[in-house]
Amino acid sequence: MSLSNSNQDDSKNSQNEENALWSIVGYLLAGLFIWGGIGWGFDRWLGTTYCVLIGLFLGAGASVYLVWLRFGRD
Amino acid sequence: MTIEKWNSLNLLEGEVRPGFRAPDAGDFVFPSIFGDSVLTTKPVILVFFSVILVSTFFIASSRKALVVPSKIQFAGEMVYGFVRNEIGKDVIGSEFQRFVPFLFTIFTFVLTNNIFGIIPLIQFPTMSRIGFPVAITIFVYLTYHFVAIRKHGLFKYLKDMCFMPGIPKFMYVILAPLELATYFVIRPLTLAMRLFGNMFAGHLLLILFTLGGEYMLHDKLIMKIFSVFSFGFSLGFTFFEFFVQCLQAYIFTLLSALYIAGALADEH
Repeated sequence: MSLSNSNQDDSKNSQNEENALWSIVGYLLAGLFIWGGIGWGFDRWLGTTYCVLIGLFLGAGASVYLVWLRFGRD
Repeated sequence: MTIEKWNSLNLLEGEVRPGFRAPDAGDFVFPSIFGDSVLTTKPVILVFFSVILVSTFFIASSRKALVVPSKIQFAGEMVYGFVRNEIGKDVIGSEFQRFVPFLFTIFTFVLTNNIFGIIPLIQFPTMSRIGFPVAITIFVYLTYHFVAIRKHGLFKYLKDMCFMPGIPKFMYVILAPLELATYFVIRPLTLAMRLFGNMFAGHLLLILFTLGGEYMLHDKLIMKIFSVFSFGFSLGFTFFEFFVQCLQAYIFTLLSALYIAGALADEH
């Protein structure tokens, strides 16, 4: 979600960094909650105990990858 | 020094009192002032008061606008200029003007209600009751989704959100739920919780140090001496709270602007 391309000045850069900071926190939370939650749901469904752990790892990995795609590329 | 000497100094003497009751969430619940209506509890009255206060101030600062501004006009224009330029123009870009009233309202409303927390006699940050941050967040939430859907159309908005170009197809299965959750759940949740949590925790700290100091003041002599530190902390935290209250009002408005900017951007 890049901001619109007008006035590329210094304050734009700091705003972008602030934007990135809060978005990253959101993505990391979303990764853990969504995939951790799906794993927990599978545990409930299948009566296992390890799916939540797999889900949390998957979610953490996916959110880090997503953060890299959004802010680390270019 | 021996214990007898300590005792003879009367440092440790004192009446036995019931234990200190630490402040908790119950200290944020106020009884209704008139009857049973929730509309006459302290937080709700403070919200109405803040609306009157903000409106009066900005009407007074703008009704006799002069080229060479008076002091109150200057103060009003400074706040307006800050929201317009630092938050609106820098974040949203070319289409910022139609969002300035919205952002300006949020900023002044949240700021006033936060600062109530350290105003003597009022001393309650309204935003430490979760309902108020949630209500503002609902407006922000509806706004940025509405703006995006009107600009891009619902289908393209969701498609851009879920499917970022240039990554392997199978990754979409893993990443799309995260994007959806971020836009629809995590963003509003963190927006409301951040403001609520900061105000709640800050107010709790102030109550703790003030009530703790007051409790120790009525205790043994050695406790009376330590109560000075407790009161000192509560004074220090009052200044710190002022900083946090301004910062949180700024961050809340800034994030609202960022979400609107994201909704307007061509690619997500």
